[in-house]
Amino acid sequence: MPDERNGEGVGRGEISPADRAKFKQRVGDLGKQLEEARSQQAENEPARDSAIRARGMAYGLRMASELVGAVLVGGLIGYFLDQALGSWPWLFLVFFLLGFAAGVLNVIRGFTRLQAEIKEATRGDIGHAVPDDEDD
Amino acid sequence: MASEGASGGMPDPIHQFEIKRLIPMELFGYDASFTNSSLFMVIAVALIVGFLLFAMRGRALVPSRTQSLAETSYEFVAGMTREGMGEQGMKFFPLIFTLFMFIFTLNMLGMIPGAFTVTSHIVVTAGLAVLVFVTVLILGFAKNGLHFLKLFVPSGVPIYILPLVTMIEIISFLSRPVSHSVRLFANMLAGHITLKVFAGFIIMLLGAGAYGAIAPLPLLGAVALTALEFLVAFLQAYVFTMLTIMYLNDALHPGH
Repeated sequence: MPDERNGEGVGRGEISPADRAKFKQRVGDLGKQLEEARSQQAENEPARDSAIRARGMAYGLRMASELVGAVLVGGLIGYFLDQALGSWPWLFLVFFLLGFAAGVLNVIRGFTRLQAEIKEATRGDIGHAVPDDEDD
Repeated sequence: MASEGASGGMPDPIHQFEIKRLIPMELFGYDASFTNSSLFMVIAVALIVGFLLFAMRGRALVPSRTQSLAETSYEFVAGMTREGMGEQGMKFFPLIFTLFMFIFTLNMLGMIPGAFTVTSHIVVTAGLAVLVFVTVLILGFAKNGLHFLKLFVPSGVPIYILPLVTMIEIISFLSRPVSHSVRLFANMLAGHITLKVFAGFIIMLLGAGAYGAIAPLPLLGAVALTALEFLVAFLQAYVFTMLTIMYLNDALHPGH
């Protein structure tokens, strides 16, 4: 820090012309650094965005089969139990519904995980992954 | 893939999935013939091993183009593994990397016109899914003993609905290999059938006089679908690998 800062002739809250020049220089440098950082970030942004998008698509493809798979397994267990015990169709109905519940559970779990992952990847700013004109 | 059997009608969209015995064989009374499916699996394995050995032959500090491709695929899967299971998950890296490369190569080979898509058969995908499932079971019991069963008994559930919840958890667990295999097989099967049907429309329209004028429409569709199928081929390999990692992680740390 320059010494003249609290020197005579300069009132509180004012700075000498020499300091003013230095200050302007620093502001200019900071502006350049900021611009560099911003352009670097803009370069990284699409990569991050497409990685998140691929992950989202993967989850989308997953979820439907998670639901169907569980219903299928539930129905099959019920069907075979019925075949073995001769109680058709009661166990089938019960296990079909249990399978549906398991499917919903799978989807909810998958979604919770996705949400946590995206929150982590975007550091919480979901919805701002696409650069906005007005932000500039 | 598109134009065989262009006898005016629709080419059979299922024909491409037919299994053909190339070298008939029998083992202990079972049909163990070397089929076109086996052939493409051998080609895939040869391609993967050949590519990796060829790419890494220089072992340069500054990689060549092929070497950086091999390194990229390694780092992609390694990154997924570390993210999903932490550093200790790298013990399973050989299994995970093999699965990813095998499925990815098979899916991509299937995109070559005239080639056979091995992953469009549920036997193959179910075999891979059961491999993962059994690995998870063995690993889970070996690492946690009977504590592994806690996976089915979530904590903090009132005792009177615990049997119901446990039942649901067991079904949820058993549904893993089913959805794991059905997803891969169904996506590849449906994608290739759709492609073929669209390609068939072109031929049918061209053979239908004045309607031939709109034949470019399904052609555009087929081109777009081809691009989509390449994406699906990658995504399905990715999803299969990701889920494998997730399941293995559950086996290491049950009771989340």
